[in-house]
Amino acid sequence: MKRLIPIAATLFSLIVVFPIFYTISASFFPYADFTAIPARLLPSAPTLDNYARAFSESNLLLFLTNSLYSALVGTILRMAISIIGAYAFTFMEFRGKNILFILIVATMLLPPDALILENYSTIRALRLTDTYLGIISITLLAPTHLLMLRQYFKTVSREYREAAIIEGCSDTRFLATLLLPISKAVVITLAIHSFSTIFNDYLWPLLVTNRESMRTVQVGLTMLGFSENLDYGPQFAAITVLMTPILITFIALHNPIQDSVSTHFTGR
Amino acid sequence: MKQHYHSRIKPYLLISPALLLAVLFSYRPFILTLINSLHTISLSGKHLSFIGLENYRRLFTNPSFQASLSNTLRFTLFFVPTNIIICLSAALLTNRSGKLATLNQIFFFLPMAVGLSSSMMILKMMFNPSIGIINRLFGLNVQWFNNRHAAMALLVIAGVGLDIGLDFLLFSAALRNVPTDLLEVAQIEGANGRQTFRYLQGPLISSTLLFVVVTNIKDAMLISSPVMILTEGGPFRSTQTLVYQMYLDGFRSGNYAMGSTIATVVFLLTFSVLLLLMRLERRRVYYQ
Repeated sequence: MKRLIPIAATLFSLIVVFPIFYTISASFFPYADFTAIPARLLPSAPTLDNYARAFSESNLLLFLTNSLYSALVGTILRMAISIIGAYAFTFMEFRGKNILFILIVATMLLPPDALILENYSTIRALRLTDTYLGIISITLLAPTHLLMLRQYFKTVSREYREAAIIEGCSDTRFLATLLLPISKAVVITLAIHSFSTIFNDYLWPLLVTNRESMRTVQVGLTMLGFSENLDYGPQFAAITVLMTPILITFIALHNPIQDSVSTHFTGR
Repeated sequence: MKQHYHSRIKPYLLISPALLLAVLFSYRPFILTLINSLHTISLSGKHLSFIGLENYRRLFTNPSFQASLSNTLRFTLFFVPTNIIICLSAALLTNRSGKLATLNQIFFFLPMAVGLSSSMMILKMMFNPSIGIINRLFGLNVQWFNNRHAAMALLVIAGVGLDIGLDFLLFSAALRNVPTDLLEVAQIEGANGRQTFRYLQGPLISSTLLFVVVTNIKDAMLISSPVMILTEGGPFRSTQTLVYQMYLDGFRSGNYAMGSTIATVVFLLTFSVLLLLMRLERRRVYYQ
């Protein structure tokens, strides 16, 4: 019985990872391999044609650029908004502090997907459809980040800041030279999380972009025009291009990822 | 004096972006959605007249909505237990040290690295009835997109694929936090695997389990993007969910009032799940 556990775990994990394996393998399939009987799991003669076609016959590169750009700008803005907000809520005293904090954090209770109708009309009224700002707009507020950063900043004694301020150190300098360096780990974790959230978003970018030139890769990927014609090679190649960097990052960072999930979600 | 004034206004300046965004993209649309659901609305978005709960009456007698509601609940009912059993057994099976176990763990959380639309496109191609790998590999002839049961099963598979990475990591983390000395005692006392789980690991991971169950329920009731990419609600509306119908009504057919009414129903559903979580959290027992 004990000896069966590793075997069961291995079989089970191979099933789970199979779609990823098959996607990578199929991206090298010549056209005929997709209809071969018996079904092929590995390419008969590996080819790079699918990659060439994925880039030359679609706007994949443009979509990718749009996504990277909006995720990067979105992450920077989102982190800046969370950091300065958390800073004020941790180190400063002001009227209405608690109620304002609850007001911001309580937005977590409102599921964004159920707000898209109204948010879309707001973006349209602000004339922000088909703009990067429109794509990132609703992701700029991250109440969970604000909450976690405040939690973390609290571990820094308030006397530190008061001493620093009395010594003539500005809030900006205190934040940049002391607070952020010691919060590096949590800031980086949250930034990675932000980046992947914005990068992977599907429904909102679908709504606010109409022009093909503004389309993000998550939306564009479903409209490349290959899979509709049962032309699977280039489609699998496009997906492989998109997921490989993230797969490598995940495999390389599997230890820190497991640790950070352990501390962030179970709080121990 | 100027310094004093400055330090009083400063905190408000620092929180103003977050506050502005909260009002602009959460509270304002939330309130407008509630108000819209009580009105008839023209195609250009103008309120025509106040009609009280008439939209709700219309909605609940609308066969399309009845289908969406029942599909969403059915999906939740199938998805949550399937996902919990799969993710928890994966975590239990790999709760060891060693190179093989680490490799298995990586495989289990790797799906997290694949974005939503990528994984939906992968499934769509793998499950294509004629040239997809699944039917050909197993010699099946399942019409995954034309049979209502198969389509629902496919949606459940899609849901598990999207959630397994994170949920597996959460369960693994919780299991690793079970003190090893307790496990050793259990082993010395001759407890088998099932007893160890039932009396030791189970109770100790109960708070993680509760968290995962509730977030699963919430996510399941809000499912829309997988439906949009994979099945488009078909066949015969059998996978049309609430948020997907909201999108169809609000954006495709321009029925803004109906879309807002469905959104309000979705709010109510998610609020009740979250309230349930808070009640259970308060009763939660800490064993450590």
